Amino acid sequence: MIDRYKRFMNLEEPPPAKKAKGFFTDTSLCIGCKACEVACKQWNQLPADGFALTGNSYDNTGHLGATTWRHVQFIEQAKANGSRQEQRWLMMSDVCKHCANAACLEACPTGALVRTEYDTVYVQQDICNGCGFCVPACPFGVIDRAPKHGQFEAGTAHKCTLCYDRLKDDMTPACAKSCPTASIQFGDVEELQQRARHRLGELKARGETKAELYGMPEGKEASEVGPLHAFFLLLDKPQTYNLPEVPRLPRKTMAQRYAWSAAVGVGFALVGAIVLGRR
Amino acid sequence: MIRDPPSSRENFPPPLAGEGQGGGPGYYNYPVVRRPVWTWEVPTYFWLGGMAAGAYVTASLAHNFGSADDRRIAAGGYYVAAAALVPCAPLLIADLGRPDRFHHMLRIFKPLSPMNLGAWTLTGFTPIAFARAASHAASTGLLRGPLGALARLVPTRLAELTGCALGLTLAGYSGVLLAATNIPLWAKSKLLGGLFMASALASGSAAVTLQAARRGVPDATLHRLARLESAASIGEMAILTGYLVQSGKTARPLTTGRFAAPFWLGAVGAGTVLPLLLHRLAGRHRGHTLQTLSTVAAVCTIAGSLALRWSIFEAGKASSEDQAASFELSSR
Repeated sequence: MIDRYKRFMNLEEPPPAKKAKGFFTDTSLCIGCKACEVACKQWNQLPADGFALTGNSYDNTGHLGATTWRHVQFIEQAKANGSRQEQRWLMMSDVCKHCANAACLEACPTGALVRTEYDTVYVQQDICNGCGFCVPACPFGVIDRAPKHGQFEAGTAHKCTLCYDRLKDDMTPACAKSCPTASIQFGDVEELQQRARHRLGELKARGETKAELYGMPEGKEASEVGPLHAFFLLLDKPQTYNLPEVPRLPRKTMAQRYAWSAAVGVGFALVGAIVLGRR
Repeated sequence: MIRDPPSSRENFPPPLAGEGQGGGPGYYNYPVVRRPVWTWEVPTYFWLGGMAAGAYVTASLAHNFGSADDRRIAAGGYYVAAAALVPCAPLLIADLGRPDRFHHMLRIFKPLSPMNLGAWTLTGFTPIAFARAASHAASTGLLRGPLGALARLVPTRLAELTGCALGLTLAGYSGVLLAATNIPLWAKSKLLGGLFMASALASGSAAVTLQAARRGVPDATLHRLARLESAASIGEMAILTGYLVQSGKTARPLTTGRFAAPFWLGAVGAGTVLPLLLHRLAGRHRGHTLQTLSTVAAVCTIAGSLALRWSIFEAGKASSEDQAASFELSSR
């Protein structure tokens, strides 16, 4: 019966689950070359973003978006009267976090957003109808809808695919492949997490006291969205990199909000029955 | 080849001068979350869908609990509900990035997503509201012939029960949908769902009053409707107060600046305060004066309901660029 239904609906068996894949982005190694941005654009055939200058250090990309899936940040920490030792230049290549509990995936009403066999979050371009609900749902501001009348996959939602097509052929995602300093490391999430813990210990021993990991299972940032399959080693507080302290998963507070809504509705029905019921 | 600029660029606020990275704790003054891509179709749909649901529920209450006179006003409610639902689905489809794929909303059932729940609810409620309106038209002789005979077959009690359940869901999910995001103005308070529900029921009952006043129903019925409307308005005011208190500083894009006038004058003034005063005044009058006062109050409530949806919706876009509010929302 189920088999006949599946054949009738043309339903495929999902591919067997593989080990979770992800990125470990070690910002202490980033030199801000933007090779990841370029490699991502080239491989995924994403159009250019124009030639606007933001005036904010070397960052003329600004933000992740529908056609920008890697974004290198440049944080100039320099006090006007500070000594040279106090000055720092932090760089960080931002990307979709591929959350274990992804807000975009939960918001999606069509099932276009799916979890792949590599435990990554992926938008099926032939299913997405561009409802736009995933856009404000993402706590990191990653996913975006391409302009309705644009030339690039108009009107549907886009974000990093963790190079799903390359993974299928056992290849490393374009950004990690192009990174010249191994700031972007690709691999099995569990192994990457081990590597990250080791690297943090190393940096702490060298006196980088402010270094911390962001997106590990034990971190408070994983309390709602779960461990991030693209996680980071940061050299300052998450907010310095525009990362929320504890990214929210909207589902966690939804029942409470429905309850208030239902209470008002039931209250009105009762008042109505009483007011109109008086003969 | 010239490409479209990314939609995000024009929305970037100018960076603040500060200690190298923008003065605040974040990365320059860039937003943490993305600006919602929805346009005017969405608040308009929330307003019409909510009004349809409110009118249907009010009509069903009047039909089942009211006197013989009250039952006459039910007709207006069913017609308003059906009429207000006509533009709803087209508005929602127009807002999609790919309107040709609107039916993908119904390829799965996923109530976890308020958007999916809403699509199914609208799909269920619309034919029920139409059937109930048709069956009423048939019973009064307005709808004749084979269509009238078909409409007579509609089980009215069942249509009222399921219609009220679906209608209340339709009126109640829209605020929860906005709240189920990471936009500070929408997500911070627990009460946005309740607020939109109250506004929907107030505007729905106002739409019934509008019809009743035009048809010249007895004064006692208008007085009873006024009491119901006032109860909804008082409820809306209380929840709105709670919403503003819970939102705190996060509500600034709504309470100050561009959206202050539509919010305070439209949603609060015309939407709740003015109708309450008018209904209070109308309580002492009868006949033509009562009908006029009820009509004006109802029009104010309905306009205020649109102002509420629109101002909270648009101010939410401004709120998405509020880096400090995003950090506050996600802090522990």
